Amino acid sequence: MNLKTLLLAGGALLSGTAASAGGFQVSLAGIKNNGMGGVGVGLSLDQAAMFYNPGALAMVRERGVQIGGNATFARSAFRSQFGGEQRELRNSVVTPFSVFAGFGSSDNKFAAGIAIYTPFGSKLQYADGWEGRFSLTDIDLKSIFVQPTVSYAITDQLSVGGGLVILAYGAVNLQRDIPIEGQPGVPGHVTLDGKALTKIGFNGGIYYKPTDKLSIGASYRSRIDATVDGGEVEFKNVPTSVGARFTATEFDVTLPLPATTSLGVGFMPSEKLTVALDVNYVQWSAYKSLDFKFRGNNGAGGLVAPSGQVGGVTSSSSRREYEDAFTFRLGGQYQLTDAFTVRAGGSYDLSPVKDGFVTPETPDANRLGLTAGISYKVNDRFGVDVSTQFIDLQERTQTQDELTAAGTVDRVAGTYKTRIVIPGIGFNYTF
Amino acid sequence: MNTFLLKKGTPALALLGLALAGCQPDIDAPGIDKGSADFTKYVAVGNSLTAGFGDGGLYREGQLNSYPNILAGQFKAAGGGDFTQPLFTEAQLNGSGYLRFTGFGATGSPLTVNVTNNLAVVGAVPTRAGNQFTYAKYLDPINNLGVPGIRMSDIETPGFGNTALNGGTFLAPTPIFNSYFERITPAGSNQTYRQRVAASAPTFFTFWLGNNDVLGFATAGAAASSLTPIADFTRLANGILDDLTANGAKGVVATIPDVTNVPFFTTVGPSFRASLPATASVVVTTGPVFTGTGAPTRKTIPRDDIRDANGNGKQLFTLTASPYVTLYGRTNNGKAWRDVYAQARPSLPPNVDLRLFLTVNGIDTTKAFGASTENPMPSTLVLDDLEQPAVLARTTAFNDALKSKANEKGLAIFDANQFFAEVAARGFAINGTNNTAGFIAGNLFSLDGVHPTPRGYAVIANEMIKAINAKYGSSLQAVNPNAYRAIIFP
Repeated sequence: MNLKTLLLAGGALLSGTAASAGGFQVSLAGIKNNGMGGVGVGLSLDQAAMFYNPGALAMVRERGVQIGGNATFARSAFRSQFGGEQRELRNSVVTPFSVFAGFGSSDNKFAAGIAIYTPFGSKLQYADGWEGRFSLTDIDLKSIFVQPTVSYAITDQLSVGGGLVILAYGAVNLQRDIPIEGQPGVPGHVTLDGKALTKIGFNGGIYYKPTDKLSIGASYRSRIDATVDGGEVEFKNVPTSVGARFTATEFDVTLPLPATTSLGVGFMPSEKLTVALDVNYVQWSAYKSLDFKFRGNNGAGGLVAPSGQVGGVTSSSSRREYEDAFTFRLGGQYQLTDAFTVRAGGSYDLSPVKDGFVTPETPDANRLGLTAGISYKVNDRFGVDVSTQFIDLQERTQTQDELTAAGTVDRVAGTYKTRIVIPGIGFNYTF
Repeated sequence: MNTFLLKKGTPALALLGLALAGCQPDIDAPGIDKGSADFTKYVAVGNSLTAGFGDGGLYREGQLNSYPNILAGQFKAAGGGDFTQPLFTEAQLNGSGYLRFTGFGATGSPLTVNVTNNLAVVGAVPTRAGNQFTYAKYLDPINNLGVPGIRMSDIETPGFGNTALNGGTFLAPTPIFNSYFERITPAGSNQTYRQRVAASAPTFFTFWLGNNDVLGFATAGAAASSLTPIADFTRLANGILDDLTANGAKGVVATIPDVTNVPFFTTVGPSFRASLPATASVVVTTGPVFTGTGAPTRKTIPRDDIRDANGNGKQLFTLTASPYVTLYGRTNNGKAWRDVYAQARPSLPPNVDLRLFLTVNGIDTTKAFGASTENPMPSTLVLDDLEQPAVLARTTAFNDALKSKANEKGLAIFDANQFFAEVAARGFAINGTNNTAGFIAGNLFSLDGVHPTPRGYAVIANEMIKAINAKYGSSLQAVNPNAYRAIIFP
């Protein structure tokens, strides 16, 4: 298997995932980091530093390319407040991926690199006819970021770096049933499908390694507003008599991808052992509401029908009111032999979603993550990393009364429970 | 080397697959317990609401989605027995016939047609009030004793299910038999409804009776029918509840909703108001349409006194006023009064013809309809603010009587009056659908504007379950109301 086929394979894996960090954020860059609970801000492990802390890139001694892929198996259970059987997701697998390529000057002062990764995404397909169908039946949220990065080692101990974070590709597909029936059991259905505009943000970081046994890092990633302008609105099974209330053909929406500030510290008690601790602070409070605007006229209501109608209105606003949230990560690696390194870690991720605000598109709750990983160095240049993460979302219940009180009656009352298993594999090649 | 890795990797992937199969989380199903209630034999006592009436008729789909049938399904998980309803057969599934929604008219008002095929009508019996249909009998033992049209004041009427009770004559009137009670009563039997209920010997019952003791009066715009006297209502309600609880049966008693919150009274007024110039006013009659003692009182309603969707204004127009309000201001228009005469004819003295009827009421149909004292809108189309207090006061009195008796007997209470007042004020969201007390779009009320849709009945069943669980310490499960249909749009 050569590098070219690997890159092509990566190209086929364009997809987001049921999040493994609060909300719809995915923290799956770097297979080594994945095996260590997602730590990396205070470390200079490899080229994945571009994602965790671009300031540490100059301290990554090896120059090379690594490509990683994950398979996200999300399994969810839902029980409606109003009784009935347990609902499970239609099983789907999504495959977040990352590619990192780093190059450096011969004096090890400068490093540059390019990173491609998928930090936000979600794909959930609910069971046919589930209780929340009028809120959501399917969501597929994808994003691909491209990040050119530079890093500079000011001294042997201190380096800084930054990158342009480019939302190169974003796509959203949201589907829900409309509670209007033309015949019993056949409600209307609406699909919103659109591509995001290209947007540019930045990230930056600083890395300090005062001794062989200690390293500290801090990084920041800016907020990007993912915007869909003129996405497609498509209706199905809308009775003709109410066609005038469903005339929209296009929608506009903006989804904030929040800023993240991270602090990390690494301990190297021996040459073989590394232990690291990260704290992420994600400014989810930027996500106040999900607002759609609708326009266009599909002619379903005849010539005189008003344009841009979805259920008789030309805009919708759904409360989110997310709160800023912390994630704590702890992980370590131990070099067993020259070829094998083993890793383990864990994370605790506080949900940004308040009680009464849980939506089917992000059935979020506090998350406990346990991870493990192993690396095998095939030779001096080529290595394989394998990781697996097990993420357990706390069972979370919201009642119809809570929804009514919160003004969030556009979602469903009941109990959610989700588990995610994410095996990943990465290949790295140094030159 | 890479091949070697892949070979080693395959069993690992298989292991992973096994791990994933075990990954599916489960949420424990809630426990179901009957508490101190015994659902072995559930009997439903009531009127059209209990029978599953909707869209202006009783038909098989409505029966299958009646709240007693929904409840019985949930009781079953807690030891409940079989629940038999007097279902119309598949061949006669349209029962009495009903209204079907066909679209919106030019003004946006909904259009309906009568479904007239596959009916269960088997005959017509001449009565004082005209020919009355009878339906194919259902004489097997049943658990759903819901009888459309029955009032509390009817429950001790002998022959209420016997076609022989035909209303007598104008000068010697008697009650008239009820077609739906006749359907479930053996031919020739004079058994009263109360006797039938007492003989049913339930271990658990629901009791929702008394709506028609105010409803008929209200929907007729206080121009016909009557309000049952409070003393009669209380005595009859106490008697039948004593019968039901004689053997220690437990149950739920439902109160009577304030009828002025239903779409029947809240739909036409707002659109009629919006169609009028700000300075316009509407002339109506108030009280009975024909007393024989002179012309009824006229009442002038300023436009802004018609109740709108936000609750401003006091005067309510009935859903049946829909075809007449569009005639407002027309001269030489006697349609409304001709129709009122036709409706009133059976209860009028034989010598009253249309000309006399109009003369006695002081009507001159050449004048502008609804805009002149000579050609006012008939009282049947309006429940005005002089008539509403009588309906409200009587509803309150009946509910006080029902609650007092229920408390005395230790029964659960579903306060339907309070619940539907809440729905009217704030709506009732369920799993992403917003339900209101509005017509058509509100999901809960059927095309007749009074009776619920299957979804409305499911909501009622859930509220009753809530009351039962609270009273008897049971843990019955609710149903998903969204799984029951609302209005079907063409």
